[in-house]
This record gives sequence, C-alpha cells and structure tokens, in this order.
Amino acid sequence: MRGLTKEYVLQRFLMYLLTIWLGSTLIFVIPRLAPGDPVSEMVGRLSLDAGYIENADKLIASWKARFGLDAPIHVQYFRYWGNVFRLNFGYSLSHFPTEAWSMVSRALPWSLGLLTVATVLSFSIGVTVGSLMGWRRTPRWLQMILPSSLAFTAIPYFMFGIMLIYLVAFELDWLPATGAYSRRVDPGWNLPFIKNMLSHAILPVVSIVLTSMGGWALGMRGLMISVNNEDYFLLAQVKGLSPARIFFRYGVRNAILPALTALALGLGGLISGSILVEFIFAYPGTGYTLYQAIISQDYTVTQAIANLIILVTATSVFLLDLLYPFIDPRITYKRTMR
Amino acid sequence: MAVGQRTPDDASAPAQGWGLNTWDSPWLNFKFLLGAGIVLLILLFGLVGPFFWDTDLAYTGAGPLNKPPVWAEGGLPEHPLGTESNGRDMLAQLILATPSSLKVGFLAAIIGMGIGMALGSVAGYVGGWWDHVIRTLSDSAVTIPALVVLVVIASYVQMTDTTAMALILALFAWPGPTRLVRSQVLTLRERSYVRMAHLSGASALEIMFVEMLPNMLPWLAASLTGGISAAILGATGLEVLGLGPTRVPSLGLIINQATTNAALVRGLVWWWLPPIIILMVIFVGFFLMTIGLDEIANPRIRQFSSTRRERTAAGELPPVEPVEDGTAGEEEAALEVDDLHVHYFTPRGEVIAANGVNFSVRKGEILGLVGESGCGKTTVAMAILQVVQPPGRIVQGAVRIEERDLVSLSGRDLRRVRWRDLALVPQGAMNSLNPVTPIREQMADAILAHENIGRAELEQRILNLLNDVGLPERVIDMFPHELSGGMKQRVCIAMSIALNPQVIIADEPTSALDVVVQRVVAQTLLEVKERLGVSMVMIGHDMGLQAQLVDRIAVMYAGNLVEVAPVESAFAEPLHPYTQLLIESIPSIRERKPLNVTEGLTHDLRDPPPGCIFQFRCKHVERICRERRPELVERDDDHLVACWLYEPERHSLIELEEA
Ligand code: SF4
Repeated sequence: MRGLTKEYVLQRFLMYLLTIWLGSTLIFVIPRLAPGDPVSEMVGRLSLDAGYIENADKLIASWKARFGLDAPIHVQYFRYWGNVFRLNFGYSLSHFPTEAWSMVSRALPWSLGLLTVATVLSFSIGVTVGSLMGWRRTPRWLQMILPSSLAFTAIPYFMFGIMLIYLVAFELDWLPATGAYSRRVDPGWNLPFIKNMLSHAILPVVSIVLTSMGGWALGMRGLMISVNNEDYFLLAQVKGLSPARIFFRYGVRNAILPALTALALGLGGLISGSILVEFIFAYPGTGYTLYQAIISQDYTVTQAIANLIILVTATSVFLLDLLYPFIDPRITYKRTMR
Repeated sequence: MAVGQRTPDDASAPAQGWGLNTWDSPWLNFKFLLGAGIVLLILLFGLVGPFFWDTDLAYTGAGPLNKPPVWAEGGLPEHPLGTESNGRDMLAQLILATPSSLKVGFLAAIIGMGIGMALGSVAGYVGGWWDHVIRTLSDSAVTIPALVVLVVIASYVQMTDTTAMALILALFAWPGPTRLVRSQVLTLRERSYVRMAHLSGASALEIMFVEMLPNMLPWLAASLTGGISAAILGATGLEVLGLGPTRVPSLGLIINQATTNAALVRGLVWWWLPPIIILMVIFVGFFLMTIGLDEIANPRIRQFSSTRRERTAAGELPPVEPVEDGTAGEEEAALEVDDLHVHYFTPRGEVIAANGVNFSVRKGEILGLVGESGCGKTTVAMAILQVVQPPGRIVQGAVRIEERDLVSLSGRDLRRVRWRDLALVPQGAMNSLNPVTPIREQMADAILAHENIGRAELEQRILNLLNDVGLPERVIDMFPHELSGGMKQRVCIAMSIALNPQVIIADEPTSALDVVVQRVVAQTLLEVKERLGVSMVMIGHDMGLQAQLVDRIAVMYAGNLVEVAPVESAFAEPLHPYTQLLIESIPSIRERKPLNVTEGLTHDLRDPPPGCIFQFRCKHVERICRERRPELVERDDDHLVACWLYEPERHSLIELEEA
C-alpha cells in the first residue's frame, strides 16, 4: 500500500486533536493552578496603576460572574471548550463592542503572509545551502563561501530585527521601521499599496530568514553526510550517473525527508519567534495583537488569539503529515512480500 | 568470526577506532571548547562583577539621566557604560541581569532534561502502552508554540521571581529530551553489550546508568545546551514583552524598557545594544557548544569535516604514479589489476589497505577474492570501481579494462566506462537500493545514463531483465521495502547486467541472506554469467561458497595477495600457509561456513613488518621470512604463491646477502 491509508490519516488526525487539546488545556489550566485568579490579578494591577479602587471586592465578584469564573472548574472547562469549538470568545474588553474573533481574523492574514513567506524562504535556502555543504563534490570555492550563511544562526530573530531597524530604517533610512503599510496609501489591490506593503515586510522577513535558515542548513548538512555514506549512494556513483542526478535523486531526495519532519516539529518554535518579531516591528499580525491584548488586559482576545495560533500551527503540522506519505513511500507501509 | 577474537577494524572504515587515545579524545572539539569558554566568560562577568562594581547603581535615580558611555562625548567616568532614562547605571544593570538570565535557562533545561530522561527511558525500556502514550504526548507537545502559551500564562500569573519563570519554562523543555532518550534507548537496547548485561541479570536502572548513559552522553549534552539556550530565549521573550519578573533586572527587561522608551528613535544606542550583545554572545556560545557536541556524538560529521580539512591542507591530490604495462603477457584478460596500492590517511597514520595487488580476470571466468574481514578485499573492489571513500586513496597502480586504465580516467570519461564495462552487485542489497524510488526508476537511470532509448523500449528492457533473474513483472513498480532480501539482491543482479558489461564485481553478494536464499541468489548469478559470458570478481569470506562458484581463487592477507590458483588446485594442494589455514577451518566443503580462523591480524596495518606479511602467524617461519618480502611467483601450473617455502634457493639467497 502506498499513499494515504485510512489508518494513517486517522492516527494523524487524533494527533492533531490531541495537540489542540493539549495546548488549549494548558492555557486554561495553568493560570487556574496558580495562586490567585485572573480577575483579582487584573483588578490588583488596576489598583496598582490607579493607586486605589473603590469596592474592589464587588468589582472582582461582578467580573467573575461575567466571565463565568464563579462556576465550578469543570463547568468552566466545558464552557471553555464550547467556545473554542465555535470559535466564539465573546467581546473584546478593550475594544467593546468589537468581537474578539473579528479582531483576531483581521490580524491573521498579516501573520500568515509574513510567516509563510519567511518559512518557505528560510527552509528552501537553508536546505539548499546544507545540501551543498554536505556533498563531497561541491566545488571548493563554494564550500568556502557557504558557511558564511550560518553567521546569524544563533541569534534570536527579534534581536536581529532590532539591529536591522536601527541600521536599515533609522541610520540608513532605506526601509520603513514599523507597521505593515503607511497611513498615506489606500489599502486595496493597487500598485502603490502593494509596493508599500512589500517594503514594510522586507525587514521582518529578512530578520526571520537570515537567523533561521542556518538551522535548516546545519541539519540538512548532517543528513546529507549520512546519505553520502549510504550504500545506495555508492551504487549510484558506480552506475555512472551524472553528479547532478546523484545529488538530487539520491542525495537531496533522501536527506530532505527527515528535514521535512524537522520542519513540522519546528513550526511551533518559528511561530513563537515571530510573535516577538511582530512586536518589535509593530507588525499588525496575531503576535502583535496578542501583545496588545495582554497589555490592555483584554482577556477574551488573548484567549482567542492563543487558541487560534495553536489551531493554525496544529493544522499546518497535520497538512505536512498528510503530505509526507506521498514523498516517503515507507511511511504507510505494512506488509512485506515474500 | 568466533566471539572474542581480536580483529582489526575493517580497513575500509578506519574511523571506527578514532578517539580511543586520549590525545585525540573527541571531547577536545574546538567548537565545543570555544562555546564553553564563551559561556564561562559571560558567567564570570555576572558572578565576579558585583565585587568590582556597585550594583546598587542599577536602581532608579542612581545617577544623571541618559548619559552616554565614557568614551563618547558627555560620558562620565562614574558611569562607564552610560545611564538610561531613569538614571540607572548600565554596567550595574548588566552585571545584575546576566546571571539571572543564565540561571533561568539552566534551571528550566535541567528540569526538562530530568523529566525527559525519566519519560524517555520508560518509553524506550518498558515499551508497549507506556511508550505509545509518552511518544504521542511528547510528539504533540513539541509542536505547540511555546511562547504563545507562555505569554498567556504570564499574563495571568504575575511572575515574581526567576525560579517561578524557570518552572513554567520547564513545561516546554521536556519533549525534546524525551524523544531523544527514547530513540537512544531503543537503538542502544539492540547493542550486544547491553544485551549481554541484560542476560547477566543486571537491573534496568543499572543498564540504563552503567551501559547506556555513557553512550548517550554527547547526545544528552547537545540536547541540554540546546535546551538551555531555548529556555533563555523563552525567558528573554517574555521579559522583552514585559511579562517577566519586573522587579529583578534581566537582560530582556532592559530591552523592554529601552524599546518602550523609544531608545531606538532617540539614539540611545548604549541602552538597547549592550543587553542584546550579551545575549547574542550567550546564544553563540551555546550554539557552538551544541554543534560541537553534535560532531562529537556523530562521528560521520566529524570525519567529513576532517577529511575536508586534510584535503585542503594537502592541496591537490598528487597524481597517481603510472605503472609500466608489465603484465601485458596475459592474453584474454577482461580485467587487469596492476600493482594497486590503496592507503587510508587517518589522523593516526597511514593505513596500508592494499599493497601492490596484482591479478587479472580472464574472459568469462569467475575469480574469487577471499580473506578474513579487514584484509582489504572490499578496498580492492572499491578501488577497481574507483569509489575509494576518503580518507582512502589509490596511491599507485592501474586497473585496466580493454587496455584502458580506469585510475587515470575521471569525470565524463570515467562515467562512460562505469556500468557499461564494469558493474557491481553490492554487498548489502538491503541498503543498496534507494528506499524512496520505485525499482523501475532505479533500473532506468542506469540504462539512460548510457543509452538513448525510448520509453516503450526501456520498459521492455527492464521487464526482460527482471525476467532473467526470475522476478515477476510487477516488481517493476514496487519499492525496495516491499521486497524481501533475496528479491532485492536479484534486482541488483538484474541491474548489473542491464548494459551487458565486461566485468561484474560481486561484493559478498550473498552474505546478508539466509542459507536457502543464498543458494537461489548464487544460482542466479551463475546462470547470468553462463548466459552472458561475463567475467566476474566474486568477493567473499565464505570458502565453501567460493569453492562451488569460482574458477580461480585469489587469497588476500593484510592488504597483500598471498596465493592465486585455479580453484581445484587451491583446495587440493594449497601452497601458502594462510590458505592452508583457511581450508583447514572449513569443516566440510558441502557445509558452508564463514572463516573460522583462530587468530586475527597480528600486526599494525599502519606499520607492516619487513619480510613476509604472515610471519607472526606462520608455523614455518624462517629467518629470510623476517627479512625479505616474498613475491608472488608461479610455482606450479597457473598456481602463484608468495611464500619463501617454495624457493629452493632461499638459504643461499640470504647467505649471499650477508656476504
Ligand atoms: S614466507 Fe615464511 S613466514 Fe611467510 S608464509 Fe611463507 S613460510 Fe610463512
């Protein structure tokens, strides 16, 4: 059997549900395990800011009732799940009467765009660089140059972003520092807007790509070196195949499989990192919205975004999983023919 | 091979023994040490700093506002790194912040590692349901974007100190180590020494800590350093967002205060840059440690970089010394191997894997090349095929097919000769087929690399070839993992005859198969050979199998040919003492068994003794054997041997020399 089997899809789907459940439950449970509760905490912070709040007890009680926090914990938990399923998180507290969901959906396209472009670029560049680094026949001059692309590997995206803002946006004034587009252009499908939008996206994308591609490159290099030592790689040479064919069909083709697994596993980290990048660049995606919701203590939007990010990440991993058997015929294999 | 027998590492894989000597211990990895040094320096800065600088200056109002560092205009000597908008001294802040950032990282990663080791070893050891649950949990936990959850948690729970933060970060530090330990335990469990320990009644904990842990150490260390930097990154992320502890100075908090106070726009570089630099140095340090440890854990990567370095250091490879065409007298030779020398350039010296090997294969014959493992027979095969793997190299000699020396060919010319004139039936058919491409494609690319034919013809050719080796047609669309070992080996045989080559090298073609399948595969090989009249070099250590298949036999010992003879006379009347030993060790010719030689190599391949290569194990050793190397000389009809015993003049020879 090749391709997708019912068993495999089912197994991956259960995994998908488990991931969402685990993430959402963590968000629900841990704050409640901690001493204090979110409402008292919020009111406490408010009173710190304002100096003193009248009737703090009453306020806490009414807020608790409003969020349903006075109900027993398992009732809260089921209600919470109902909301997650219906993607219904209630109204935004800071932007009443906007619904939390509508704020989130406004932010989502920006993040998806930014992250998709950055991930595709960094993965494909990284894999190319790594494959060449791990191949014995790569020309020597290329072997000398390639490691330089690892220069920024260890640096977190956002730190690199801060330095890019300082150098490229402020000192050189080449590109805009923050935001997704300028006030002066009309959002829509027109050339000035698209150009403006792209110029805003360059720095965030570059800071993610330059810092993350080295990781893929290093991983791919190791995988290529392993493949280099495989018997089938040797046989391909003995067959008199052209170096290009050996490189692509026997080298990269085999080494990329574990790299794709690593991509699926690394997606969460990538998304975590991009939250900070959005914060630094004030890029109006989910990460930045999450940050704003937190500083304005917008409890509902925070919940909505966190759950959404978990959902999107899990979905991407699920889709990658479904793609995998088409690239690696061994995945769904069960029986051996004699 | 008998258990407990001393055997040298197979000469084709000299990397295995590296690192046994303390002077090139793998832990002396440059990247690892550099990284560790960097991290120690940063740690020192944080630990020793308070003794040299007044850390009370780190609090609001300790000095004037927004002063640049001392070297810039307007800088004050009492605030060498300047002050920020609250009048806090930058140097004092950095000294206080650095160790707290490191502490969070270490604490979280160590807790995560502890959980990971416990869960991972349970999953790997106990297996079954436990394994399933733990694996599923860690697989899904690893994909959750940690920072999102952390941010939400941090927005509810005011984190008062770094320990609380470390505990929360540890929630995301366990899946990585768990996955690692589980897979390591599963791999190591199959190793013989672990099995032995198990059989001898050691407890699971004992096996885990005594047998497995030392072997996992580099992996665990790499995972730990990676985990520390991930935890520092998570903590810093929260601090930068202003969600960390706000009363304790931390590097992320400084960045948060700088960015929220628009330090970038206001040009207060000394406010936001120093914490970033310190963090970057920390991350680079841990990163270097991690990749250094990866190299330590994975010898292949180490070997790859070292052969690269060596090649660059040595410059271009010296040209292989040409050999005078001395053996042209041999008529009807399909393949001539002429004075072949292959050396492995290991860090601990040059291993001589083939030393002046000379033989030819006549048209339509099967020549058996035998010897115990490590004798260099596989090296010779690889050298004939021009695929000696670095750090090995052909340093001298020629390999001729139809008067053409393959050693001197390269690039296109070599590719053209490959497979069309010289094919291979590989040793491990299990791993010699590309696991992710169907058989059709793997057979097709061999043909298409040399011939231009249409699709229909190609398809027919492949089907005919499969038919020739007795495989059903549907195999063409199957993947290697869908075939049994014997079928895979037959696919390899079909592939080898695709272009009707002059010579086929069969490298222990039946070694990994069970006895019944062995017979089928050997039979297939013989049939193919009979039908095509192809010449073959059959490499093996199985004397019994050789006796049944080959026409002539060449015996190799420690990189040297010691005897070449027709198979009948080699078995009826073996001349070389080593050949005699090999034949004695076969219980019965009908019963095929691997070589059961009582003793392995007795000399160091890097430093062969003068005189006969077999002298330490030979019963008939004489004085001349220790002083002069015997040459391969024809002593009987078509029977060559390299041994002084058959030189009647040997006594006078040595006396002559003394005179
Ligand atoms: S040359 Fe001497 S030592 Fe070597 S095999 Fe012959 S008798 Fe033995």
